[in-house]
Amino acid sequence: MKNRLRVLRAERNWSQADLAEHLEVSRQSVNAIETGKFDPSLPLAFRLARLFDMTIEQIFVDDGSG
Amino acid sequence: MYCTTTAAQRRYRVRTLFATTAYLLAIWGVTWMFRHRHPQGAAVYLLALAPELPIFAILAIFGIYLAEETDEFIRAVLVQSSLWATGVVLALTTFWSLLQSYAPAIDLVVKVPMYWVFVLWCVSFALAQLFVQRRYK
Repeated sequence: MKNRLRVLRAERNWSQADLAEHLEVSRQSVNAIETGKFDPSLPLAFRLARLFDMTIEQIFVDDGSG
Repeated sequence: MYCTTTAAQRRYRVRTLFATTAYLLAIWGVTWMFRHRHPQGAAVYLLALAPELPIFAILAIFGIYLAEETDEFIRAVLVQSSLWATGVVLALTTFWSLLQSYAPAIDLVVKVPMYWVFVLWCVSFALAQLFVQRRYK
């Protein structure tokens, strides 16, 4: 699933490791989600949304592939 | 920097280390018993069962780890890897069994002890993790 994580990270000058630390997941998880190769669960998507103070729809783009 | 080794992974490694050590000790002990004490009757079955208990423990430890792992991506990689390993083991052992069935006719198959099946699963599981992780890079 496409998403804006890379941009949102860049705006905050965060590395993947920084985002992983905020989410309490592995850096590999962040990389897999960011590259659209792994879709996060709903609870993790909500955690991302809370962290960036956005809605899930503002972070993830439903491209109809799911 | 955030450590990529999770707490559940650390517990899993320690527990697996203990279980694997128990397995090796059991194998060594049982082999020694059969070579030097030549057990008879029910003792044969009990001794053959001894190395099996740590194997059950290793599988249970893996199940506990999957339940304890909070990183859903790591969990997904492990579940996929275990399915790949199970598929490889089932395919290879079925193929080998069929070959053994026809061995008198083709005379090329070496008899492989069944206890290698678990080792094959462990090796397949380790290789499958590398393969599955590559798909997400």
